[in-house]
Amino acid sequence: MRDPYEVLGISSSATDEEVKKAYRNLARKYHPDNYHDNPLADLAQERMKEINEAYEAIQSRRKGGSYETGGYSAAYSGYSGDAAFARVRAAIAQGNLALAETLLNAQGDHGAEWHFLKGAICHRRGWLDEARRYYQTAVSLDPLNAEYRQALDLMEGNQNAYQPDGYRAMSTVGCGNDLVSRVCGTLLCLNCLSGGGYFFCC
Amino acid sequence: MFGYVRPGGRLSDEDRKHFQSAYCGLCHTLGRRCGMAARLILNYDFTFLAMLLSESSTCQTRRCPLHPLRGRACACQNEALERSADYSVILLWWQLQDGIADHGFWGAIRYRLAAALLRRAYRKARFARPGFDESARRELAELARLEAEGCPSVDLPADRFARLLAGIAGEEEGTRRRVLEQMLYHLGRWIYLADAADDLKRDLRRGNYNPLALRFAHEGGVLTPESRQELGKTMDGSVRAMAAAFELAEFGAYRGVIENVIYEGLYLVGAAVLNGTFRRRKGQAKET
Repeated sequence: MRDPYEVLGISSSATDEEVKKAYRNLARKYHPDNYHDNPLADLAQERMKEINEAYEAIQSRRKGGSYETGGYSAAYSGYSGDAAFARVRAAIAQGNLALAETLLNAQGDHGAEWHFLKGAICHRRGWLDEARRYYQTAVSLDPLNAEYRQALDLMEGNQNAYQPDGYRAMSTVGCGNDLVSRVCGTLLCLNCLSGGGYFFCC
Repeated sequence: MFGYVRPGGRLSDEDRKHFQSAYCGLCHTLGRRCGMAARLILNYDFTFLAMLLSESSTCQTRRCPLHPLRGRACACQNEALERSADYSVILLWWQLQDGIADHGFWGAIRYRLAAALLRRAYRKARFARPGFDESARRELAELARLEAEGCPSVDLPADRFARLLAGIAGEEEGTRRRVLEQMLYHLGRWIYLADAADDLKRDLRRGNYNPLALRFAHEGGVLTPESRQELGKTMDGSVRAMAAAFELAEFGAYRGVIENVIYEGLYLVGAAVLNGTFRRRKGQAKET
């Protein structure tokens, strides 16, 4: 196992408070919500496990520290009463999107779950606009279903998403009109730096 | 190509130097590998690509026609710069071919002229990267087919361009390959959407295909506030997917610059594009 302090990116002389802060920061970075329906979710889960283990190891070494791990369990798995939809879910979980889509298209029942799963396939592929529309239909067909609602909410982006130190949460539309005119001035432009023309700059 | 992928203003002085040296390094590499004419196609997007692919960054001071006396810090020629240079030549070549096919005899003259200037560079680049050349030809042809059909989805045409970029990760291995694939896919998707938004007004005026015109409500080429919101959200989705992937691999000396592009630069450029202020900034920039 790697040195737990190295995993958390701190020195072994860090105070308990610093350890906790580093742990929280990393846990936010690799939180399963950031990797929902993401093909790299397994890698994030591995990181999360490593971070949890490192934090636990440090806590037990220092003794007396409060244990605060396990708060972030990964991997969501939905339930489906329908056997056909269960097969689609299994195919998505394995990453076999072509099979999942074939199975889904063979279904006559285009209800809320059908739209939700269609959305999940699109999301995995990176077709975010279509995914969002399918999720929206699923939610409107079955407004009480927590799974569909969660998928749509995560898609819309949560405000608590991880930001590195020094950066604030941003969104393309969040920059208002007046802000943008100011903000444009802050876009780095090397051409100005180097004093060259638009294309011929080196 | 486009020039949308650039850092915001929060870049530290050190990272700024790294960025500038990668930019200069790519320019020199283009000049050496592809001839003086190819240096004109240098842009930020491929500088970003070079930084993503770089494993190391050693610098030297070099002079060039623009900085003949003092020279500038310049990343030494390496595999990542060479690959970026070749990819940019190949991609531009196929975009020019597309332009030639789309325009009549007179309209296509400037595309033919540019292609003639680029031919030698393209041949060399194709020889070095036959796989990328083949996938660029294939995906852009597929994209042209979707355009001709008037595809009403934004995801399908964006997917073709995104796949083309994601294919670049094929030369890597293991985790790094998966991370880069995901980052490049969403980078491609974001660039395609930003470019479509930037060109919306012009495309409508000329009667060209633009996926946003079919998918979103607009008035004379200006997206309604609701459409802008929706487009912004789906572009943000791609930026967040890039950020999520970025955190799962190491990026050496260029980490700070890449981080800035992903957590700040792309949002700023996206906002400027959606507000219609980006193209004005480009001024007389060449359209490709």
